[in-house]
Amino acid sequence: MTSTTILQVSSLSKTFKNVQAVQNISFSLQQGDIFAFLGPNGAGKTTTLRILLDIIKADSGTIKWDFDSNESAFPPSSQIGYLPEERGLYTDQPIIRSLVYLASIRGMEPSKARKSAFEWLERLDLADRAKEKLQALSKGNQQKIQFVASILHKPAFAILDEPFSGLDPLNQEKFIEYIRELNEQGTTILLSSHQMSLVEKIAHRVFLINQGKELFNGSLMDIYKSFGQQHILDISFASEVPHEKFRLLPNVENLSPVGTQQVMVTFNPGTELKEILGNLSMMEGITNIKSHNSSLHDIFLNMVKAHQQ
Amino acid sequence: MNYYKQVLTVALWEYRRFFKIKNELLGIVIMLIVFSLSYFGGKYATSKTSEKQQLTVLKDFNPQLIEILSNAFEVETIPNDEMDEYLSRIATQKQGILLLQDGDGFVIHSWKKPKRFKDLQENLKVYCQKEAMAKINLSAQDLENVMRPANLKEVYLYETSTRGRSVLAFFFAGLMIMAVFLSFAYQFTAITGEKQLKITEQIISAIKPQAWMDGKIIGITLTGLSSMLTYSIIGTLGGMLFFQFTGASVSDILNYLYLPSILLFFAFTLMGVMLWNAFLAAIASMITDPNNSGKSGVMLLPLVFVFSSFLVMRDPDDGVSVFLSWFPLTSATAMPMRWVATELAWWELAGSFVLLAATFYLLRKLAAKIFHVSVLISGKEPTWREVIKLARES
Repeated sequence: MTSTTILQVSSLSKTFKNVQAVQNISFSLQQGDIFAFLGPNGAGKTTTLRILLDIIKADSGTIKWDFDSNESAFPPSSQIGYLPEERGLYTDQPIIRSLVYLASIRGMEPSKARKSAFEWLERLDLADRAKEKLQALSKGNQQKIQFVASILHKPAFAILDEPFSGLDPLNQEKFIEYIRELNEQGTTILLSSHQMSLVEKIAHRVFLINQGKELFNGSLMDIYKSFGQQHILDISFASEVPHEKFRLLPNVENLSPVGTQQVMVTFNPGTELKEILGNLSMMEGITNIKSHNSSLHDIFLNMVKAHQQ
Repeated sequence: MNYYKQVLTVALWEYRRFFKIKNELLGIVIMLIVFSLSYFGGKYATSKTSEKQQLTVLKDFNPQLIEILSNAFEVETIPNDEMDEYLSRIATQKQGILLLQDGDGFVIHSWKKPKRFKDLQENLKVYCQKEAMAKINLSAQDLENVMRPANLKEVYLYETSTRGRSVLAFFFAGLMIMAVFLSFAYQFTAITGEKQLKITEQIISAIKPQAWMDGKIIGITLTGLSSMLTYSIIGTLGGMLFFQFTGASVSDILNYLYLPSILLFFAFTLMGVMLWNAFLAAIASMITDPNNSGKSGVMLLPLVFVFSSFLVMRDPDDGVSVFLSWFPLTSATAMPMRWVATELAWWELAGSFVLLAATFYLLRKLAAKIFHVSVLISGKEPTWREVIKLARES
């Protein structure tokens, strides 16, 4: 089965007054992708998502949506689901009414929206509270309703801006399940997030952006191959970390203190573990050494730091 | 999903959100209670004051005047030598009225101005007039002839409208004020409140700002019209009850329900409410936080314009009235009022209506543009200069 390109973005740029929010970025999504859009605060993620949704206009560049071989520059609202970073729902309205309304404005028949909403509420154990006002729910449950509101109409393409923010670890795992399930049912997902450990679990491909510029665009495998082959050691000391001695060590790419008695050291790609351990044996007071490969979080931090330097 | 279906979806949502028949009926019940309390309370207050107040005079007071004063007061006489004691009693007990004759005039002693002071003045005036007439030997018939107005025959080229049409014009103007009042509150909740709840981005990713804005304007206008309809029905039923009590025939009621007037007033009122809703929507779009925005005061402007159109009834043919009946922000009430008060050509009605509709069309576009620019693009309230620039563009 050959996958089709559902979204093609080419040379997109956007400037607000003197700030270049997005600078000449290009990427594409295939049908069935879970595509993670990663970047620090103010990197240009939300601006890009808003441009894709035609909420704001790009200064230059092209966007091509392709749903069932119907190409257009604007996304058809019935095919798109959107969970904005700034969350909000009608708190003074019954939950079921809000859900049906939000699905209706995306073209879903109210009767079908109602049926689908009850199915989701059953899954979330909130069916008996369908007629209550949203403000009666806990914050976590409100987040769940917000998520349901964005995908209730069974979109072909869902844009989820920071879907895990504000959730406790248990609910984060649940959301990962929901997203995975949605994807298995045929929805292509574009998500933006800070939580790399969660993104790692579900994303097929990642796009790393910083200060509006593309840093990386490819599969998770590619990013690990390109940047994840470095040795990272968590080293603990009996007393304070001797930072001056680490500065003298060869092949150290990055040094991140973890408290006063522990440090995370990233070595340059290609550095042999034997050589590293040899150098560390000269240091006194080491109580523990833990080795691991770069996680997406580490790669992200290193790339952003390198880009800012 | 096409534009019209989206507008309809938003309009119905807003309508169901704000128009609650239960609340409407509750409002009417409260209104009836307030009305009943004022009516019966007023009756009660009046009945108390209709009791005759006690008035004290001295034994040698003019008997003819006592007879006149007895129509409005319970007149009591006391011996002349008790006057000082009575006056000191007024000071200590804070009650009692003593009327004394002082040459051609009178002196009144009381703790404070009596409630029936005007009646007292009136009765003293009648007495003084009788005294004066007696002095010059003038009969009552002669006095009536002197006071009779000049005989003036009235011939006018334009017959003034029937009372029923004027009542209808005021009725619709009143309903429009009520609808604009309601819209004022609803638009804040529907637009500014929605911005504060951070719902707008989700909505705007699904529909265009213009469809969203049009849906809100239509939905809130429908809410206002529904309230107008409810109060019209209650008003008509109340009118019928009133006529029943006053013994008038049903034809009297039908005189008020003149169909061409109703159609004309309804068309202007509908367009007027739509226009003001578009105006209020544009202002609400500029405001992010009503508590801290300097623009909130502008939301009160509609009331100034609605009330200013009542100026037309002073002189429907002067320059101010003609201007108000054409100026789109006042014409919805001013033109129908001119129509009942003076003679108008059909093209004046049509021209004013077209201008009103065109202004509504532009204002709704401006409202959508302000909303889109201020909230989604810049995320701040636009300045007046920016609004004027947008107005030119739209």
